[in-house]
Amino acid sequence: MADRYEVHELMVCRIAMEMTEEGDYVTILGSFTPLAYSAYMLAKLTHAPDAWLVGYNAIGMPPVELSFTGSEAAAYRGSLARNSFTPNGHLVHLGTHGLLECVSSAQMDGDGSINLSVIGDYDKPKVRLPGGAGAPEVVQNYRKVVAYFSKHDSRTLCEKVDFATGRRTPISRDRRDAADLATGGPITIITPLAVLTKDDDDRPFKIESVHPGVSVDEVVANTGFALDVSTDVPTTAKPSDEQVALLRNKIDPFGTVRFDFLSGDERLTYLEDVLAQEWARAEAHLAL
Amino acid sequence: MTVNKITQLERLPELVPEGAVVAFGGGWFANHPMAAVRELVRSRRDDVHALALLGSIDVDLMVGAGLLSHLTFSMVTLEAMGLAQNFRRAVQSGALPITEIPALSLQVALEAGAQAVPFLPLRGPLGSDLVASNPDFFGTATTSFSDDEVMIVRAIRPDVAIVHALRCDRLGNAQFDGTFSQDPEISAASDTVIVTCEEIVDSTIISESAHLTKIPGFLVDHVIEAPFGAHPCSHVPRYAQDAWEILDYQKAAIAGGEVFDAYVDRIREESESAYRERVLGGGRDKVLAALAEVGPTLEASQNG
Repeated sequence: MADRYEVHELMVCRIAMEMTEEGDYVTILGSFTPLAYSAYMLAKLTHAPDAWLVGYNAIGMPPVELSFTGSEAAAYRGSLARNSFTPNGHLVHLGTHGLLECVSSAQMDGDGSINLSVIGDYDKPKVRLPGGAGAPEVVQNYRKVVAYFSKHDSRTLCEKVDFATGRRTPISRDRRDAADLATGGPITIITPLAVLTKDDDDRPFKIESVHPGVSVDEVVANTGFALDVSTDVPTTAKPSDEQVALLRNKIDPFGTVRFDFLSGDERLTYLEDVLAQEWARAEAHLAL
Repeated sequence: MTVNKITQLERLPELVPEGAVVAFGGGWFANHPMAAVRELVRSRRDDVHALALLGSIDVDLMVGAGLLSHLTFSMVTLEAMGLAQNFRRAVQSGALPITEIPALSLQVALEAGAQAVPFLPLRGPLGSDLVASNPDFFGTATTSFSDDEVMIVRAIRPDVAIVHALRCDRLGNAQFDGTFSQDPEISAASDTVIVTCEEIVDSTIISESAHLTKIPGFLVDHVIEAPFGAHPCSHVPRYAQDAWEILDYQKAAIAGGEVFDAYVDRIREESESAYRERVLGGGRDKVLAALAEVGPTLEASQNG
């Protein structure tokens, strides 16, 4: 196990476990969310090389290096098919082929509701957020829901979202089977402190594991909704040396994953640094 | 009589009727019809009802330039660069009326529009508050097959679709060799379809690679040549997104006020060809092309 790792690398490795080679089930690359992208590429490069990955209009895309300007074009090189969004959405988002498409919302509550729309009142918002794109259909129809957050606090994991842009309903397997809805896993929340799961409409989220060095009390104190706490909570697995090396050297050499953990000016300054590196590589390519 | 749908970018605003619902192509920072957006900004219109599925700088620029009277959308964001500032401010202040619809539901509504049926059923976003807040869009139906209710969405038929393609001929056969999002579907759903393209080519060129034709010409009404017409968004495989230009945009949008007004004024005061000269000069065009080539794919054997 790697002793020198950062918490976002542990999160990436835990998300990667959710991407598996399950026959006809598909993982979708949504908006540019480097933490989720890193996890999908890591899965493809390690335990799930034949797992289906769809990015943009590229179906069966290969794992690609993460960058702001190069990942889109790379997705098409080595992809196995192309499809337009609507027919692909019928198969994956609305049909029966959706495995994994991580969500990361401004708020999430104990019902599993996600808020990507507004802070405050919907009609007079304090902050108008981007909106959910396909997330409302994803959380309802995929085999499972995986949500990650760069902060674990009671403002983000809150008692009640200001607006439910999306919510999986029902959650319990027997009720989903009865309604002929996809099943395959719980709602899983992955944060810098812990992994939380919920698979029963009538029970709170439980703590699947706490990360190394984090106490159960710390998780409970920073979560805005009630948690089921068992007496013996395991510790989240640390990344392996191989995983950390792949992430740093191959998958994300520019460090785009840090964006999820920066805000405001910090983020734009860091972006300029990454862009300068991407530009330098392209200029070197031209000079050859 | 020979069909010729070719026209000039300067004519685009007059092809958009007053108060029209206009569906814009592309998604995220990929392939939005930015030359068309800029030309609409130059026209100083203020009456467009935009429909955008995965909007970014396209929508935010139109909001900031005062072009929109209404916005139907599923997402508007500048992703890693932050919230879409003009969009955020305009909705928070109440200046921009919006209709927020989840993306897949919006796509099915456009499909219904294309098929000329009043609605279509779907496995929709049952737990979303957007269902209750959009009763004119989400409904339920029962059929003669059973007593079960199914979720339906009402058909949407935009007045105009504007998309940006790689190549197109005089008949409107539009080809793509990279990201085309849902451009074929918005074209099928809309009454009038305007294709801007990197280059207009002879139909013989189109037929040599007919598998790249994603929008058949019978759907298309107008064809406009607009090189780098997606800039600063990407048009893969020709060029990657110009992230420095998008960053300059975002800094102006964050500053708002006079700073953003100056950004808009500069677009209004220059022609599209002058815009190209300004932003692509100094070899920027070649770097953007190289950026679309140098991002590597990875192989499982390359450990560490």
